[in-house]
Amino acid sequence: MDDTPSTPRSDLKPIQISERTRPGSSTRDIVFDVQKLSLHYGSTLAISEITVPIYKNHVTAFIGPSGCGKSTFIRCLNRMNDLVPIARVTGQVLYHGQDLYGPTVDPVQVRRHIGMVFQKPNPFPKSIYDNIAWGLKILGKKDNLDDRVEQALRKAALWDEVKDRLKSSGLALSGGQQQRLCIARAIAIEPDVILMDEPASALDPISTTRIEDLIHELKQDYTIAIVTHNMQQAARVADMTAFFSLDVSEGRRAGVLVEYDETTTIFTRPADKRTEDYVTGRFG
Amino acid sequence: MRTTFQEDLARLEADLQEEGQYVLRALKGAMGALRNRDIELADDVIAFDDEIDKLCTRIETGVQTLLARQTPVASDLRLVLAVLKINLHLERMGDYCVTIAKYVKLTRDLQPERRMVEGLEEMGERAEQMTRVALDSFSARDMAGAESLGDLDDLIDRANRRAHDDVMELANDINLREWGLRMLFVSRCLERIGDHAVDIGEQTGYLISGEFREFTDASR
Repeated sequence: MDDTPSTPRSDLKPIQISERTRPGSSTRDIVFDVQKLSLHYGSTLAISEITVPIYKNHVTAFIGPSGCGKSTFIRCLNRMNDLVPIARVTGQVLYHGQDLYGPTVDPVQVRRHIGMVFQKPNPFPKSIYDNIAWGLKILGKKDNLDDRVEQALRKAALWDEVKDRLKSSGLALSGGQQQRLCIARAIAIEPDVILMDEPASALDPISTTRIEDLIHELKQDYTIAIVTHNMQQAARVADMTAFFSLDVSEGRRAGVLVEYDETTTIFTRPADKRTEDYVTGRFG
Repeated sequence: MRTTFQEDLARLEADLQEEGQYVLRALKGAMGALRNRDIELADDVIAFDDEIDKLCTRIETGVQTLLARQTPVASDLRLVLAVLKINLHLERMGDYCVTIAKYVKLTRDLQPERRMVEGLEEMGERAEQMTRVALDSFSARDMAGAESLGDLDDLIDRANRRAHDDVMELANDINLREWGLRMLFVSRCLERIGDHAVDIGEQTGYLISGEFREFTDASR
């Protein structure tokens, strides 16, 4: 059976099967180091003592039943809750080691570095071009504006669909295109982090797939935190998954972090029974 | 298009083909050890099985992750299930190569019989050919190629029966009897490798048609 008289001994040397690069197998840079973060609306505790690291160039998903504080939590990451007068934050959010809620920190600058995409696409009632260019002009990035607009639209996988109608209204686009326009708008100003609050829940399955593919592409350049009530979406797109639940003990109803781990672990062998019950559909 | 999912699927299939190549290496090594009574090579074959097992475990973990995270359906689901089963067949084929290598060591001091060695070598060639056909037809989604494994299996089965006849003839020769009996197990291993190749072909058939069908009739 062998073509040559010599034996193929060299073929049988141990082979190094290299571990595929995956989250957890290498050193991870922390973008957000959240320590015992709680948020009250007035006297009502909404989320309680959340401690979680968020890693650079990872997609981190926040899942859990309605009302468990997922959106409230990620809105703490770019101080969006500042816009709610009765909201009060305790604990610490370190962003690249800096206290995000420190007295000298400007919330507008925070949102410049930490962009956000919402559940319902909310393009400005302006042209596609101006939707992207607006923020750039405000930031004084007026050089190479056309290039910057094109790059943002390309990164958001929208360029080919809109390049011939940049002057048309952003509102004339389909829902899925509008959402990608909002993502393009967010990345045009070159943020570090993109927060996404159920970015595909108002979209049809095809548009959802495009957004999920896009998230996968974007994590090469950005750190992404995504809230989703679609568990399978978290399973598909996230590297890390945090499961939130509602703690109703001691007469309170506060969102708590139950489990945080690599997505594969959460969906194959979660450590906490509450997570197991949620991901298997027995609860929530 | 779910890009990540498709990439993961392609990677899984590439790993499976790689495992198939490992099995072919182990088979060539085991047959080389048998032909040349090369104990060192037999030891290499035995040690090399760890590599096959590692790859097998990695594929199994990959399948688990894909099922848990990507909920494959239709032809994607059939592909994942076929990979899961073929993975086990390849791992077993690797184990048979180890068994052959162990019998080479066990018979190191016994006198071999040339004609039977030639018969076993022919079986080894057939087993290697069947493994290649199984892997290639799976890769190419080639139904005709997969179905041809049934006919190839007839040939290796026939060779296995001949090996039995050979041993019966050796039974009266006290110098060759033990060696012959040991070699029956080698013959059996090669015949089983052929059976697993047929099983891989059946998985190819399932992947292509969506219906599982046996290529060989065990009652014959």
